[in-house]
Amino acid sequence: MIRNAIERLIRPAQTGYAHCDLPCGVYDPAQARIEAESIKAVQERYQKADTMKSAAETVEDYRSRCLSIKEERANMVKEHLWVLWTDYFKPPHVEKYPQLHQLFWDATKEAGLSKKSQDPAQGEKLLGLIKQIDTIFWETKKA
Amino acid sequence: MMQRLWLALVALAAAAVSVLAVALRRGVMRVEVAGESMTPALEPGDFLILRRGAPPLGAEYGHIVALQDPRPEGDGRLLLKRVVGLPGEALRVGGSLQVNGRVLIEPYAHGDTPTEQHRGINRLEPGTYFVLGDHRGGSTDSRDFGPIPRAAIAGHAVLRYWPFERAGLLKPPERRLLGIGPEPTPPTGAQPLQWHPTSPDAGNP
Repeated sequence: MIRNAIERLIRPAQTGYAHCDLPCGVYDPAQARIEAESIKAVQERYQKADTMKSAAETVEDYRSRCLSIKEERANMVKEHLWVLWTDYFKPPHVEKYPQLHQLFWDATKEAGLSKKSQDPAQGEKLLGLIKQIDTIFWETKKA
Repeated sequence: MMQRLWLALVALAAAAVSVLAVALRRGVMRVEVAGESMTPALEPGDFLILRRGAPPLGAEYGHIVALQDPRPEGDGRLLLKRVVGLPGEALRVGGSLQVNGRVLIEPYAHGDTPTEQHRGINRLEPGTYFVLGDHRGGSTDSRDFGPIPRAAIAGHAVLRYWPFERAGLLKPPERRLLGIGPEPTPPTGAQPLQWHPTSPDAGNP
């Protein structure tokens, strides 16, 4: 505790970044889109579990696997979106596209919802939000 | 008892550092390290004291310097990198770092330069430096934003004062080039200034 107090006391006000953009110097909303497509595909497969499952597993087993994979993909969508939100987009982008913050908020919330939803329409909604981000992203790239 | 003694020493050292910082405020700056591109020399969370301005002329090599991120998207934040290339030198940055055609021995560096960061330059302009992160596989540096002018260097690191276990002076390493004989001379002034954005071979003097 005392060590923490000392650290706070002598902490410099300025930060020096031993910085690395790599490999994140390459940004592309396609990463989030691909994971979101997986979510939608899993939601569709969940609905058709009885025909999609292999002979060796039960419908319940197949659906359990669907949920597990969907959970992972939803987290990946969130992470990819957050990287774009916090690393790629800068204040001038937000000035030009004032809806950006709300859009990222909605998209990451929707990614979270996809963990609970087995409805492909919900996955489609997530894809739609990512598409909007993608459009803005590529417009900023042209600028 | 030992713990009390240790705490007293720590408090004393902290006070000494604070007094020193106040006394030298005009000439020094304090910076907290964030990021891992300068590991193992600098770790995230290290507290440093930097002397303001560029390292002394003629002894710039190996100093860890703080510079404003020159990229428009960099928001002008302070970057910490090591000076590896000096004015007038030819550099090739690929699997190794070559200075005027000779491999620079860099015990502080680790990791491999990704192919897309291979660079070459025929001759660094007067008053410009090439800076790299020690973690060659994960650093945004002169390979990305090119050489930097001396005036862009805000300070050079002289001391780490936190954590106490790793506190001490930050001395630049001795410059050693692979091979024997005198250090090869840089290309003449007639050599065109040319930045090679892809191939390290193109930067051969």
